[in-house]
Amino acid sequence: MQGGIGNMGIFKDIKALFSGMRITSKHLGRHAITLQYPEEKWEMPERSRGVVVLLSDKEDGSLNCTSCMLCMRACPTAAIVIDSPRDPETKKRNLKKFEIDFGLCCFCGLCEEACNFSAIKLATKYEFSSADKDSFLWDVNKLQEVGRDVDYIDTRKKKKVAPKKETTPAETKSPEKKPVDQKGENS
Amino acid sequence: MSDLRTEEYYLNMGPHHPSTHGVCRMVLKMDGEKVKEIEPHIGYLHRSIEKICENRTYAQCIPILDRFEYVTAMSCNYVFALAAERLASIEVPERAEHIRVIMLELNRIASHLLFYGVTAMDIGALTPFLYGLRERESILDLFEMTCGQRLTYNYIRVGGVSRDLPNGFIPKCHEALNTIEKKLADYEGLLNENPIWLVRTVGIGVLPAKVALDYGVSGPCLRASGVQYDLRRNDPYSIYDRFEFDIPVRHNGDCYDRYLLRLDEIRQSIHIVRQALDALPEGDFKAKVSPNFKPPAGEVYARIENSRGELGVHVISDGTKKPLRVKTRGASYNHIAVLPAFATDVLLADLVAIFATMDVIMPEVDR
Repeated sequence: MQGGIGNMGIFKDIKALFSGMRITSKHLGRHAITLQYPEEKWEMPERSRGVVVLLSDKEDGSLNCTSCMLCMRACPTAAIVIDSPRDPETKKRNLKKFEIDFGLCCFCGLCEEACNFSAIKLATKYEFSSADKDSFLWDVNKLQEVGRDVDYIDTRKKKKVAPKKETTPAETKSPEKKPVDQKGENS
Repeated sequence: MSDLRTEEYYLNMGPHHPSTHGVCRMVLKMDGEKVKEIEPHIGYLHRSIEKICENRTYAQCIPILDRFEYVTAMSCNYVFALAAERLASIEVPERAEHIRVIMLELNRIASHLLFYGVTAMDIGALTPFLYGLRERESILDLFEMTCGQRLTYNYIRVGGVSRDLPNGFIPKCHEALNTIEKKLADYEGLLNENPIWLVRTVGIGVLPAKVALDYGVSGPCLRASGVQYDLRRNDPYSIYDRFEFDIPVRHNGDCYDRYLLRLDEIRQSIHIVRQALDALPEGDFKAKVSPNFKPPAGEVYARIENSRGELGVHVISDGTKKPLRVKTRGASYNHIAVLPAFATDVLLADLVAIFATMDVIMPEVDR
């Protein structure tokens, strides 16, 4: 089996070496299969799990998030921090803080799956590396801003909500759409 | 020359040696170029995955276990889901089972292609690395369009899979399989007869079947030593008993056989994926399982055959939504443990070949 210089296998060996060269030379004429990355980019598949964003309503531009905290509970690395105290009068949650620490996030997509309100999504964007650790902590404004142009399918049950008072989109407080108590459990 | 006094000396191989596939340190007792003793030191990649899993719900464990054996993360997803399903007696829909088999086998092909490239590169042939990774890319593209990630999939869930197959998956999958099948001839043409490759692998690192069995070696390394043992046959899980495939076996147990056997397995996996694609039924892709489901108290050991060997997970449940204990078993651990038993009296360069063809990856050893 073992070829070598010392026996008659030498012709076989030379033949094998040339057959290897032949296979390699087949690739001489073809195009490169790689891309010159920063100039050219792949088109990411629709399901590609990149950066986590908060989605806004397609019509009025307000956050879809109802601060039900399902995503926070689903997160395996505790990357999502939500602070939404209940209003003592209306019993509704007020989104005070929504932060995602991308230093902790493992891009598993469980938050997106847990969400019943089409509010959080792993978008196909991916270039957000940074040398500064603090810059990985994104607050609600940034999450919403990055998610503005992300296309999504609105799976919320359309329930007519009386238009709320004007809220600027970049403001941290989101208008409440539905009572959370009944929705929070049907995960 | 014979009266020259020689002295044995110790040599550190690793932890950052490029051919240790991760960070493994091997303290070698050398006599000239010959390796006399091997003492593997592990633990450089320990991430306490088992302990982390104890503080997560069953659904949250799966993305953590992705990092357990990231070259075939689908099988890690699957084995944990299998354990949880057995604990909670969850019925998995037919379509989900077929999708799982497709994914597991595609992942096996991807892993073997990586093996092909990396082993060849370790031994000194650079071209196969580019070839192997190129075809692996087509499989990773399939995974990316299905679940969104290329390495840590988090796709197989307790009770099914997270999403249905996307549009255009099946033709693209057939296309990728056809390409790989065609390119396998290229792979073999590059290396199988290559005299340098033969000198470096034939008869090197012979692992006798008895030693392999004693040390719990499994998977392709065991089958290359002549033991026909494959959990897909010997302890069928999922729907593998419905598909027709061979378990390739080779008998010399050297590096060359371990390499050839994996190429054989790629063919068999292609065969399985094609059958599963053809038999893919309509229906649900996931059973209704609450993310915080509580399996009854008890314990279960689930094991599957992944590309390296027996991948097992032992889950103990105390009836709460989090597992009480998770113990994982990776084949690579045994593949490292067996090295001192058979890889002695070889040249240092051959040890690299042996280590590469055992297909050890360190995250599976250290967890």
